[in-house]
Amino acid sequence: MRRILQALRREGVLGINQRNSRYTLRWNPRRLYPLVDDKLKTKELCQAAGIPTPRLLAVAREHFELRGLRARLDGEERFVLKPSRGAMGNGILIVRGRRGDGFIRSGGKSLTTQDLLYHAAGIISGMYALGGQPDSAMVEELLEVHPTLVEITQDGVPDVRVIVYRGIPVMAMVRLPTLASGGRANLHQGAVGVGVDLVSGLATHAVCYNRPIRRHPDSRVPLLGRPFPDFERVVRIALRAADQVGLGYVGADVVVDARYGPVILELNARPGLAVQLANRAGLRPRLTAVDDTWRPDRPFEERITLAREIASSGKLA
Amino acid sequence: MNRPAQIVGAILIAFGLTVFVWKSFMLDLPLQPSDPEGLWGVEFLVKVRGGTGQGSIRVPLPSTEPGQVVFDERSISDRLRFTIRSEHGQRIGVWSGTLRGSHEIAHGFRVQLAPEHTRLSAGEEEEEEPARGGDDPLKASTVELPSEAPEIAELLSRVSLPSEREPADRARILFAYVNDEIATIETGSEDALLTLASREGSPDGKVRLLATLLRAAGIPARPVLGIRLTPGALPQILPWVEARVDGEWVSMSPTDGFFGARPKDLLVLRRGSLEMVEATGASAVAHRVNALRERLRPEELAAMMVPPNRTLAEISLYRLPVGTQAALRALLLLPLGALVVAFARNVLGIPTFGTFMPILIAFTLRETSLTIGLAMVVGVLALGVAGRVLLDRLHLLLVPRLSILLCIVVLAVTTLALFGREVDSTDLFAGVLFPIVILTMLVERFSITLAEEGLREALIRAGWSVLVAVGVYPIFRSPLAEHLMFGYPELLFVIMGLLVLIGAYTGYRLADLLRFRSFAQENEDA
Repeated sequence: MRRILQALRREGVLGINQRNSRYTLRWNPRRLYPLVDDKLKTKELCQAAGIPTPRLLAVAREHFELRGLRARLDGEERFVLKPSRGAMGNGILIVRGRRGDGFIRSGGKSLTTQDLLYHAAGIISGMYALGGQPDSAMVEELLEVHPTLVEITQDGVPDVRVIVYRGIPVMAMVRLPTLASGGRANLHQGAVGVGVDLVSGLATHAVCYNRPIRRHPDSRVPLLGRPFPDFERVVRIALRAADQVGLGYVGADVVVDARYGPVILELNARPGLAVQLANRAGLRPRLTAVDDTWRPDRPFEERITLAREIASSGKLA
Repeated sequence: MNRPAQIVGAILIAFGLTVFVWKSFMLDLPLQPSDPEGLWGVEFLVKVRGGTGQGSIRVPLPSTEPGQVVFDERSISDRLRFTIRSEHGQRIGVWSGTLRGSHEIAHGFRVQLAPEHTRLSAGEEEEEEPARGGDDPLKASTVELPSEAPEIAELLSRVSLPSEREPADRARILFAYVNDEIATIETGSEDALLTLASREGSPDGKVRLLATLLRAAGIPARPVLGIRLTPGALPQILPWVEARVDGEWVSMSPTDGFFGARPKDLLVLRRGSLEMVEATGASAVAHRVNALRERLRPEELAAMMVPPNRTLAEISLYRLPVGTQAALRALLLLPLGALVVAFARNVLGIPTFGTFMPILIAFTLRETSLTIGLAMVVGVLALGVAGRVLLDRLHLLLVPRLSILLCIVVLAVTTLALFGREVDSTDLFAGVLFPIVILTMLVERFSITLAEEGLREALIRAGWSVLVAVGVYPIFRSPLAEHLMFGYPELLFVIMGLLVLIGAYTGYRLADLLRFRSFAQENEDA
């Protein structure tokens, strides 16, 4: 135990208590939370700033709108039904195609229209929302996995979590769905986290269930050392989205779509700490470096450069 | 940790502890829910065979004095008239009347023994102080204590005594002489002079001899009759001597060997005489002393818990109606549970269903027992999950569906209560009805976790919640914790202070260490 404690202190690993008290509580004002907790609001915000997001197909805010939802989905084959204010990927239903009158879920199970509307009704009732308050069901176009990621992706869409602190991207991790995670990109459900170097865009380390790995647990494809597609643009739109929302400590989830390139999936005001495991590096030195060099009103490009410097010096230390 | 929080936490803790310590030590309020130290129920039983008609039985009764508090007296007079008389400051219980056949009389009381805080000072004894001069009755020669007998004078001349100006040393030497040179024989003489002559005597004889010698040496002295109350042993009637040395009463026993302060297991019955039961007009008298260790009854404890200070007494919770008290007792335990949960979550990093769910579960356990309570938690969970699976097919909306679950749980509890009546365990359900319904909330969280994060995650979190609850349970059941929180509500400030400190704790959680342990392994590999 003592040895672990010393190692964590040496690496500057951020613990939950410290993240809460020193970063999220301090830099993320409560009034801004709705902007990121409600994916519809995030989407509006991004669209207004010209930041690409997945195409919104339909929204049902009230139960009576469900009928309209049904009509709107006519002819759509590949889409995602999700709660606007869900947390941790809860309540997300992925449809990959149609089968007769109904749909095919990701994983191959079929789903009647009735089931789909029931799920949407559950969403509107607040079943998956953070505090159980009424929610909106939103349907987005299903994103397509980038070809270079197909072989390390199992049934789902990988995304990149970029941690942005006070206007500087500090760390990033690719989250790969696995069979164990059921197509979700949640690390605690068994998804793989791959640390990506902010400078080179190369995968440095990988982790699954908090344990370091070298290969994808399902396909056994080696993970380390591979370049991540369009990584520079990923970091840029993550930073732009973070700038828009105004939170000081934010995790931006970016998906690189095969057709559209990087799009913002959602933002998170309380990003998890697993990114440190995936990068085998603590966040503290980088966050401190941002605090030490912080100046107001830095131009965008200067901040990107600074992010690279901090990331590389952090690696040296 | 940030400084302001540390300071605020320290102030809260210091404030709460200060009030607590002040109340418990300065105002002498009991710290234990029932002070088990030195509380006794004592009973004198006297059997009298009647003789010639009129008669009386006299028994010395103990009084409240420093070192002992006597209360709750009651007596059985068995056809006789019972009165309490005071003779020279000594209370005597007198049963009088026509003695016919056999009478069984009894006098019972409860006594709280405590170490003597203050020895009697000369000033306090003023009323007993005789007119200055040689007429001190405590120095006088009597039939019982013949301090002017030639044998006594002869002995005093043989023992080389220090000067009269050092009475403490004189007393000590005389005590040592009787203690060491005179043997104790239970059946020995009870007379002072006979004891001296034969160099052996009964405890009474030795006590009388010592008192006689002390008086002859110019030290006021008197025999004392008392009872030794020791846990696990029969009560023992014990005589000893009190001598006034330099204005202070010193207790000494030439049979038990103590000299100085009176041992705290001794109850003083009477002073100046060693007679236990005196009877007139009776043909036969037998007596016995029974003693039993006792605990304070709740209302007595409550009386003791009301501070003597008037302002404080005014705000003492013990003055509230009993029903309110019971509710408050439970309520005041909740912060303790919250403290444990806060520690488990923020320092250990244990995942639970919400913050208060473990407290609620612990509360349910408190009202029943650990096994029954846990069975109920599991039962409610199983029922809720089963009900949910069934309701899932009906495609109902969330709020009505959860309400139906609530109905099912209430229905099940009601049915159980009916069966409970059959098997005569109604009290089982008395306090548990409400908590168990609250547990339905647990079902909601459990089933959502089950649906969304799988059985494993749901079971892990439910397991931790129950485990934390089981950790809180002993606190909720502890009479000590209840007594402390209710008697000393200022401890809430201490809890708040601790919570401030936990809230300001920014170090790693135990779970962080486990989760990030690969950081330590990496360096090992390298």
